[in-house]
Amino acid sequence: MKDRLFRDILPRVSKPIRYTGNELNIIKKDWDSSRVKMVFAFPDVYEVGMSHIGGRILYGVINETTDHLLERSFAPWPDMEKLMREEGIPLYALESYRPLTDFEVVGFSLQYELSVTNILNMLDLAGIPIFSRERTDDDPLILAGGPVAFNPEPFSDFFDLFMIGDGEEALPELLDEVERVRDLPRQEKLLRLARVEGIYVPSLYEVSYNSDGTLAAMEPLYPEVPRRVRKAIVADLDEAFYPDNPILPYMTVVHDRAVLEVMRGCQRGCRFCHAGMVYRPVREKSVATLQRQARAQLENTGYEEVSLASLSTLDYTGVNQLVKGLVAEHGSKGVGVALPSLRVDAFSIDLANEVQKVRKTTLTLAPEAGTQRLRDVINKNITQEQLYDAVEAAFKSGWLAVKLYFMIGLPTETEEDLDGILQLLEEVKGIGNRYARRPVEIRASMACFVPKAHTPFQWQPQDSIEKLQEKISYMTRYRRRGIKLSFHDSRVSYLEGIIARGDRRLGQMIYQAWKNGAVFDGWSEYFRFEHWQKAMEESGLDPQFYVSRVRSFDELLPWDFVDSGVTKDYLRKENEKAMEGVPTLDCRREDCTGCGVCPSFEVEIDLRGGDESAH
Amino acid sequence: MRIRAEYRIGPELRFLSNLETMHMMERALRRARIPFALSEGFNPHIRLSMGTVLPVGLWGEKEYFDLELDGKMDLEELCQDLNRVLPEGAHIIQARELAVTTPSLMKAVNCAAYGFILQMMQQDIATICQNILKADELLIPSRGKKKGVDKDLRKGIYKIDTQVAEAGVCLMFWVGTGEPLNIRYDELTDLLQQQGIPTQAIVDVFREGNYIRINGGLYSPLER
Repeated sequence: MKDRLFRDILPRVSKPIRYTGNELNIIKKDWDSSRVKMVFAFPDVYEVGMSHIGGRILYGVINETTDHLLERSFAPWPDMEKLMREEGIPLYALESYRPLTDFEVVGFSLQYELSVTNILNMLDLAGIPIFSRERTDDDPLILAGGPVAFNPEPFSDFFDLFMIGDGEEALPELLDEVERVRDLPRQEKLLRLARVEGIYVPSLYEVSYNSDGTLAAMEPLYPEVPRRVRKAIVADLDEAFYPDNPILPYMTVVHDRAVLEVMRGCQRGCRFCHAGMVYRPVREKSVATLQRQARAQLENTGYEEVSLASLSTLDYTGVNQLVKGLVAEHGSKGVGVALPSLRVDAFSIDLANEVQKVRKTTLTLAPEAGTQRLRDVINKNITQEQLYDAVEAAFKSGWLAVKLYFMIGLPTETEEDLDGILQLLEEVKGIGNRYARRPVEIRASMACFVPKAHTPFQWQPQDSIEKLQEKISYMTRYRRRGIKLSFHDSRVSYLEGIIARGDRRLGQMIYQAWKNGAVFDGWSEYFRFEHWQKAMEESGLDPQFYVSRVRSFDELLPWDFVDSGVTKDYLRKENEKAMEGVPTLDCRREDCTGCGVCPSFEVEIDLRGGDESAH
Repeated sequence: MRIRAEYRIGPELRFLSNLETMHMMERALRRARIPFALSEGFNPHIRLSMGTVLPVGLWGEKEYFDLELDGKMDLEELCQDLNRVLPEGAHIIQARELAVTTPSLMKAVNCAAYGFILQMMQQDIATICQNILKADELLIPSRGKKKGVDKDLRKGIYKIDTQVAEAGVCLMFWVGTGEPLNIRYDELTDLLQQQGIPTQAIVDVFREGNYIRINGGLYSPLER
């Protein structure tokens, strides 16, 4: 297989290095002596998949701490896919070059709703039946995890099981159980696996609907199947496994650097944010642990940069001490520190100056909305003054480009809020002209708001494509030198919206879209809305039901059975406060806001950095 | 201290681009804690310069890079340290110190040797070699910047040699690189096809080495 690839196949494709494996720090475990063989399948190309921290963690935790084996596979780019189909080469894993059908478990990472078409394509390329119901005892178990799995229902036709929550906690346990139930018939096997914490087996539930199409009930078929599936959770992140020896890709991947996960979760409580709700509570690592992990990773990879990752790195209580420590220890060897996202305040800029003593690239800030009123609605607790102070500090210290992230189509949005974005950009540009040495460049990226499951906005309607287009043309009439606006494709957001709050009736539509040719839908060069439109017609699906409808608070939602720890009651109260424009403060600094996660999971906010004065 | 190292990129690393090979070396230099010199300026980087680009898909028997060290280091030791951390397929063969005035690899190297492993009879290849060397002009559609224009390869082919190899016969071309005439390996593939060698007969292509050609003589970049 390997010889054939290297000789006949790879010389004929673009970027063949994606498909060769054999990178530094790769772990090739002995096949025969490994207990359960699993492949971690990422439904995007190599350079995207290899940038994903979750995959690095799972690869290490299974291969280094258990007797199971975990190999990797990625979506081949269309030129490679075509060749594989022509030459009859099945999708294979990069460690052993074995086809996916040799493995007992194939686990897909669901990072993005529309990556599902790539998953179907990968199953097909592997020769594995697309639908769970068509698989037999001889087929691998098909698993999915990741943030999107918090509403697994739209994908339930295709997966035998889902893993919900922190994977490094759930996966070793799942594989142990897979080994124990290995010889049982498939149905009994799934029944046993459904009892593992964080595991959801969709085929073990019966779903019924009301005449208006809403969900009537979701009942387990057997008494031992849990009514609600609790997410798996790492209580002590500081003690949790983290790879010291990550694979060093040959290819320049999207995030080509050492990565430290400084904390998991975020307590800011932005009401649109899925990750901020489902990954509660905040769990930090200690500065000492992070320094040790940075040292190990740098020694084992030779990376020239280390990045501090989390949902909101500047909120890490040890950020100041950590950044200064890393710069002092590694800076003289030409190793840089990267802060992926900055909070909108002057403290951020001071710290950014610390890490980038001389090189000033683009400063990225996310005010999300253009007026104070709307920022209060979404609970983005920053003021105009904080933003302007941050920008002023940045321009004064030599930055020349600022990128700002906004959303359009947020609940209660009016023309005033869109004008607010434009005025804010104008003001930022003005500050730049006053304080910067050269003309500054302002770029604003506008995403279309997609209401997500498990958030306070889960009941809110999403703007139609037409309405979003109107807003986009309203804003693009505005032209100023040095201010660039860009917009996400509203059709893509619309499809994301259907799936994000979808139910298990979407399976046929997704399948049809793939059959019609949808693949790499996250890549604008491959996205074809027609494939999806046709699929909706073919499957008789009414998209408005999922996207434009105001859901009632009493409605049983398809993801209600997934217990993220945050109560529906809390989400409802947050929704009501949003409509009144009342903010909710950070529970680290103020009182408990009563989201429910700490008591129900017997965990607590875990702050280890020790430097709260910085906040 | 300025040094030049000779290294091998084996068949398993043949799909690395030039930039990826450079990153691989830089990261190996860091892992091996070689006392490299950093550039001044906003974005300090290792003072490493790679030689002529090894095309994606080819492996290389003798490739070169220049590196500046911060202070002195025993070069045996440098090779050993690097070889301990380099991935399978990459190997430092030897290194030597350079005078400050030695021209860079990019300036000095003007010849490369490409080997084609052919599944053919040696006598058939001998005829083809003679035909190539006898020709006054060898016109091939250019694969480089001047696409669509015919390029005469003849003046850029300095020497041809054949040897028996494991998988057949190795046909070696010594050709001009850089200025004034740059011959690409894929243009040589086209030439072989033009001379009647089917693509399927080419089982492997590699770069045997890079040379400095002065007055018709070929020297290794370590010698000059």
